[in-house]
This record gives sequence, structure tokens and C-alpha cells, in this order.
Amino acid sequence: MTLYTYGIIDSSDQIKESIYGPEGSGVYNIPYCDIGVVVAELNEPVQNVSKSSVLAHEEVIERLMEHFTILPVKFHTVFDGRNSILSMMQSYYKHFKDNLNRLRDKVEFGIKVIWPADKIKKSIRNSRKKGEHEMPIPDGSLNKNFVRKKLEKYKINEEFEQKAYKFINVMDIFFSKFAAEKVLKKLKTENLLLDAAYLIDKDRQADFKKAFEHIKNAHTGFKFLFSGPWPPYNFVICRRKVSYLKIPNKKICLIK
Amino acid sequence: MHNVAIKSKEVTLLEVLDRVLNKGVVVSGDIVISVADVDLIYLGLKVLLSSVETMEQLRGSPFVGPMQEAT
Repeated sequence: MTLYTYGIIDSSDQIKESIYGPEGSGVYNIPYCDIGVVVAELNEPVQNVSKSSVLAHEEVIERLMEHFTILPVKFHTVFDGRNSILSMMQSYYKHFKDNLNRLRDKVEFGIKVIWPADKIKKSIRNSRKKGEHEMPIPDGSLNKNFVRKKLEKYKINEEFEQKAYKFINVMDIFFSKFAAEKVLKKLKTENLLLDAAYLIDKDRQADFKKAFEHIKNAHTGFKFLFSGPWPPYNFVICRRKVSYLKIPNKKICLIK
Repeated sequence: MHNVAIKSKEVTLLEVLDRVLNKGVVVSGDIVISVADVDLIYLGLKVLLSSVETMEQLRGSPFVGPMQEAT
């Protein structure tokens, strides 16, 4: 029998609500000191990855999130029994405890901002064509046109990035007023200006949503995707350390 | 089962997938399993803590998608 893991919670109490795992078995808590690991029993070694299994996994985590602070464990984390879980908890207890304390009463929100990259580049190109930005080409160049084009492209990209960072900065300063922590990914693609996750105190959710609406309304022509509240997927910090787990009759060495 | 919490948040499937599949606590990235004092290294494993017997079962099971690969 394997144990399918959902997350680490800040309680060693049993889950009172009826929540069901991948094979319909009840989800329960395996306590370790004052925290616990929420699992469901599996008879099959590996569960199929499908849209419904991903959504079902998230559903369980969100239901747990209503009652506990939870550190979601990566999808499809499977242990081969209670002993393995307890050994893992022994190694990671302090990390989990630190994270649970840090993330208590906080939720994650996701913000994606898509901007019209083509239009922005076109406007940069047009403004440069007016002549003020002609690049000086060194004398004796064998292929002036080639060099000029390269330099021009470089300059346009540079200006494009500067514009992007200026926008991101304005938005981030505003959002950060309400956030305890943040994870920003800037210009993942030319169009995806910002892919951000903000960690927000539960009692500041309404303020954060208002801030988002304000920024959204101030940037017509940009597309905004707002999601949450999520469990703190992006904010669990787990520093790896080397350890060796010795479980009776099993030889397992973890490289961390 | 999975409709109330998720749909009410107006999230796209992409957002769910991005978090559920890519984020979360990684207990261990790589696992070395020793069989008769010979280390068999499984790299890039989806986080899996397992006995040798279970690994053997997994190796024999058909792969459905990249997340299911045991090696």
C-alpha cells in the first residue's frame, strides 16, 4: 500500500471533514509532533496524470486550506508507507514548522499581465525612425547595413525592456503595499509582461483585490489575469540537506 | 467533485496546472536506491519515496505521460 501525499498541515488532529482521495479512500492526517502529513491510501503504485486528477488534487488541498495552514506537496508525491513518512518528517520537521509559522493566515494570489508587445515595439521603432536615434557606424565597416540593423535591433530591444521594467515597477510598488512576500517573473515572453505571485494576509485580501482593480483600470490595452486565493505554492522554502534514511528492510538514500 | 472552489475563483486550467504540477514542497529531487550495494540513480524523478519493490513495480508499469516516468 502506498500513501499519496497532499500536504503538511499545522495540526496533529484528525481531519473531521469527509474528504476523499484518488481511489475514493478517505483522506487522513498522519501526525508528527504538533504538525501532520495529509495522505490518502493507494492500492495502485502510480495514478494516471489527467486533467481530472490534477483538479481533484487541488480540490483536496483547497478544502484543507479552509481549516489549516498547508504546505502543498508537489503533485504525485508518493510514499511506500507510514514509516517512510515519519522518517521524512523527522528530517524535515524544522523546515516545515518554520514554513508553517511564516505562512500562517496567508494566501497566495497570482497576477499575469499581458501587454501588446508588437504595438510597443512598433511605436519604439517609429519614434527612432524620426532620425534622432541614428546609430553612428564606424568608418571602414564592410557591411554598414548589417551592422546598422543589428545595432538598431539591439537598441529597440533595450528600450522595450526599459519600458517593460518601468511598467512592472509601477505595478509592483502598488501591489507590494499589501503583500508580505512576492515572486516576480518579468518578461517571460515578449507578451507576458509580468507573471507574479503575491503572498497576502488573509485579512488584507479585499485591499489587494481593490489594488488590482485600480491597476487594471489604469492600464487599458493590457490584459490582466487574477487568480486566488491559492495555498502558498510559490512561497514554501525548503532548503535541502543531506540525510540518510534507514528504514527496516529497505535501503533508501536521499540526496538532497 | 472538483468544481466549487476552483470555478468560483475564475481561474483557468493553466493556472491550476502551473501550481499543482510545478510547485509545492519537494521532499527530495533525486533518489538513490541501493540494490546489493549497487546504487541505481533515478534522476528527475517526480518526487517519489519508495521501496525497491515498489520501484521495480513502477519500472514495469506502462508510462502514460512524462509525470509518470520513473527513470
